Amino acid sequence: MPQSDNFDHNEIYSAYAAGTLDPAFSLMVATQAALRPSVERAVARAESIAGAFLENETPTELSDGALDRAMALIDSIEPERRDVTEGVMQAGYALSEILDLPEPLRSSALEACGQSGWRALSSGVKRLNLDTGSESTAELYRIEPGQMVPRHSHSGEEYTLVVTGGFSDETGHHVAGDLCVKDAADTHQPIGDDDGVCYALAIRNGGLKFTGALGLIQRLIGQ
Amino acid sequence: MSLKNQLDSIDERSHLADCIQRVADERCKQAFAELFEHFAPRLKTFLIRQGTDEAAAEEIVQDVMLNVWRKADQYDPQQASVSTWIFRIARNRRIDRHRRARPELDPSDQMLQPQQTEQPDITVNRQQIEIVVRREINTLPDDQMDLLKAAFYDGLSHAAISELFDLPLGTVKSRIRLAFQKLRRQLSEQN
Repeated sequence: MPQSDNFDHNEIYSAYAAGTLDPAFSLMVATQAALRPSVERAVARAESIAGAFLENETPTELSDGALDRAMALIDSIEPERRDVTEGVMQAGYALSEILDLPEPLRSSALEACGQSGWRALSSGVKRLNLDTGSESTAELYRIEPGQMVPRHSHSGEEYTLVVTGGFSDETGHHVAGDLCVKDAADTHQPIGDDDGVCYALAIRNGGLKFTGALGLIQRLIGQ
Repeated sequence: MSLKNQLDSIDERSHLADCIQRVADERCKQAFAELFEHFAPRLKTFLIRQGTDEAAAEEIVQDVMLNVWRKADQYDPQQASVSTWIFRIARNRRIDRHRRARPELDPSDQMLQPQQTEQPDITVNRQQIEIVVRREINTLPDDQMDLLKAAFYDGLSHAAISELFDLPLGTVKSRIRLAFQKLRRQLSEQN
């Protein structure tokens, strides 16, 4: 996954630009682009290439009346004033923090607040399940200063993007824009930095298996 | 591409950007109709390329163009050319179709706007990126152009491209790398 405008990652950016990258990873690329100018540049270049191909595309005639249908459609929609109050009220807790997250993560998190809501994982650590439409799981973690995420291992790979603040684990200290990749053999125990709340986006394929007492409980209640 | 053709396409691009502006500022239906007539048939070709059947392709085209109407005020000519912007809408609509129905939040809503944040030190000059890509892409040799299109427009993985074009994976990677390097040259290196 991209840490720089390095060409070795162009396969991820091309799939992202064309819309064929897994939706959970698309959310991660878009979020990292909002945090790192080098990633933003690579994404902008990939999207610009796709746009140039659309511009040079051979036109295919639409069926009769397609334009009339489009004009009728735009006539039928009123100037919109969507009622977002309800969604915002449901989001409730930590709302101002969520509003500070970069798009598109912010919208995704706001939607999730109104649906699944936050779940406490341990003291000072909460997580929010994001619905990206992917087979992979995408979750937003909120780690309070100095708090510890329960030690866990994975049945598949886990990608964690630090969005705000930072955390430390066995492999070092990670700050906003950093991406950590763990495979099935690793277990780790992230601890949030002391100087502020840490938000991190985690994506993984297999279910995360918690080791230790909490792991046992999680397996028993089938989470 | 001849110089005249290049100048024509620059004129056309700025005309299309004007159309979006008129849709945003004046809700101008004539400008929208022009955008529709330009982009709808190209979007249809793109969707059919992606394996969408004709009826579904038309439905998605309508959906994308409706979004162009609704979101015109979010278009920023400093950020992207019109075709890049519309391509992005089409891509996002296609992804949204895979998700469950959900209440839609409008990210442009005042209540959902973040507090003013500091400008980052390095800002990405998207306009310059667009200029370089547009200028260089038509000068690529066909063998690089075809692979670039398969990767960035059709969204195929390098392994899938290798199979489709019957080329070794290493050749696919090096040709795409060469093409991409050309498209990322800085303006200052080009004169």
